[in-house]
Amino acid sequence: MRPLLLTCLLAASAFAQGENLGPFTNSGDVGNPAKKGSTVFDALTGQFRITGSGANIWAKEDQFQYVWKEISGNFAVTATMKFLGQGADHRKAGIMLRQSLDADSAYGDIVIHGNGMPGIQWRSNKGENTSAFDLPFDGPGKFTLKLVRNGVGLSVSIAKDGAPLKDVARTEVTLRNPILVGLAVCAHQADASETVVFSDVSVEQLAPPAGKKQ
Amino acid sequence: MRQLLLICLLAGSAFAQAGKLGAFTSSDDIGAPPMKGSAEFDGATGYYKITGSGTDIWGKADQFRYLWREMSGNFSVTATAEFLTEGNDHRKAGIMLRQSTDTDSPYCDLVIHGNGMAGVQFRNAKGDNTNTVDFPIEGPGTFKLKLVRQGATITVSAARKGSPLRELGHTSSQLGSPVLIGLAVSSHTQAASNTVVFSDVSVEQLAPPAERKQ
Repeated sequence: MRPLLLTCLLAASAFAQGENLGPFTNSGDVGNPAKKGSTVFDALTGQFRITGSGANIWAKEDQFQYVWKEISGNFAVTATMKFLGQGADHRKAGIMLRQSLDADSAYGDIVIHGNGMPGIQWRSNKGENTSAFDLPFDGPGKFTLKLVRNGVGLSVSIAKDGAPLKDVARTEVTLRNPILVGLAVCAHQADASETVVFSDVSVEQLAPPAGKKQ
Repeated sequence: MRQLLLICLLAGSAFAQAGKLGAFTSSDDIGAPPMKGSAEFDGATGYYKITGSGTDIWGKADQFRYLWREMSGNFSVTATAEFLTEGNDHRKAGIMLRQSTDTDSPYCDLVIHGNGMAGVQFRNAKGDNTNTVDFPIEGPGTFKLKLVRQGATITVSAARKGSPLRELGHTSSQLGSPVLIGLAVSSHTQAASNTVVFSDVSVEQLAPPAERKQ
């Protein structure tokens, strides 16, 4: 009986990891939000349907749904995203680099808020406060995001409703390889969930760092 | 006689504060750069000519020339910066809020680099690393800069001279009141000085904080 149970547990665990998540390998809640999140990937359309709850990705710790893979070096991530339904103005969805799955891990992200405001956010060191820079905006829509990691540099490009991608800003976050790269969804409200559809998601490895600029 | 002397001293002091350095009251090198800097105000043209040296405004400690006054509450500062000297692509000129004149003081600034790249930089706590957001490089030139503080929100705008000011975005800063507010020039090398002329400088007190957004 006991060997059978063990086999079943192993099989269940293997199934969770072996699920097809496109360019990513794992999904789960970070920071233990009260309402569970979920990630569904449709291999046919290449679309992710990600539902996340959580108080926020902000200050000293985060709560959100994350779908990720491990990666090292330089890379470019693109994704097109749209919120389904209504919710808090500052619900968030975007591309996140993260040192670990700890709630207070160092991270860097580009997110779109529910009201359409793009924000670049980062926590330079584990347990520190989040720093942020919010960009001008003109309302909700369907956004294409691109985040390029080049050494410590994170460069962000954004396009709204099918317009061409435009470089908007660059920041620096020191994360040690390997890191996690993925998509994040947060409701900005512990008792709510938000669903976001991501399409045209790609993760592309790039050549080694160019000279550090500052 | 004693009363007359006192009046003369008061008058002299008032003159120095209102006239000698224009909208500001004090000027000094921060972080003891080996090459001394200077700041001159021309009351006829309203130009400030500031020469500063120093490794950088970056990392955990800064070296630059600062021209400042103390201020509390909400305010708006504008200045148009023109580099008079060649030098490092990342020599800097801009508007800086600063907690103190310590080299590792918390600060928040909007700078234009020698190559025309606008940047927002901030150190959240004394001795911490600098955080940065850089914007797409526009090439060298004369740039108008504007920094507005309302509560904890710092909103920055920039434009090449002659173009309309464009909002770059906003960040938050916990510098509080009173705070030093002024103009900063660094050469990004101890081996040279960088001279910048600031024109159309204004420092305007604003009404009490609007609601804080995040």
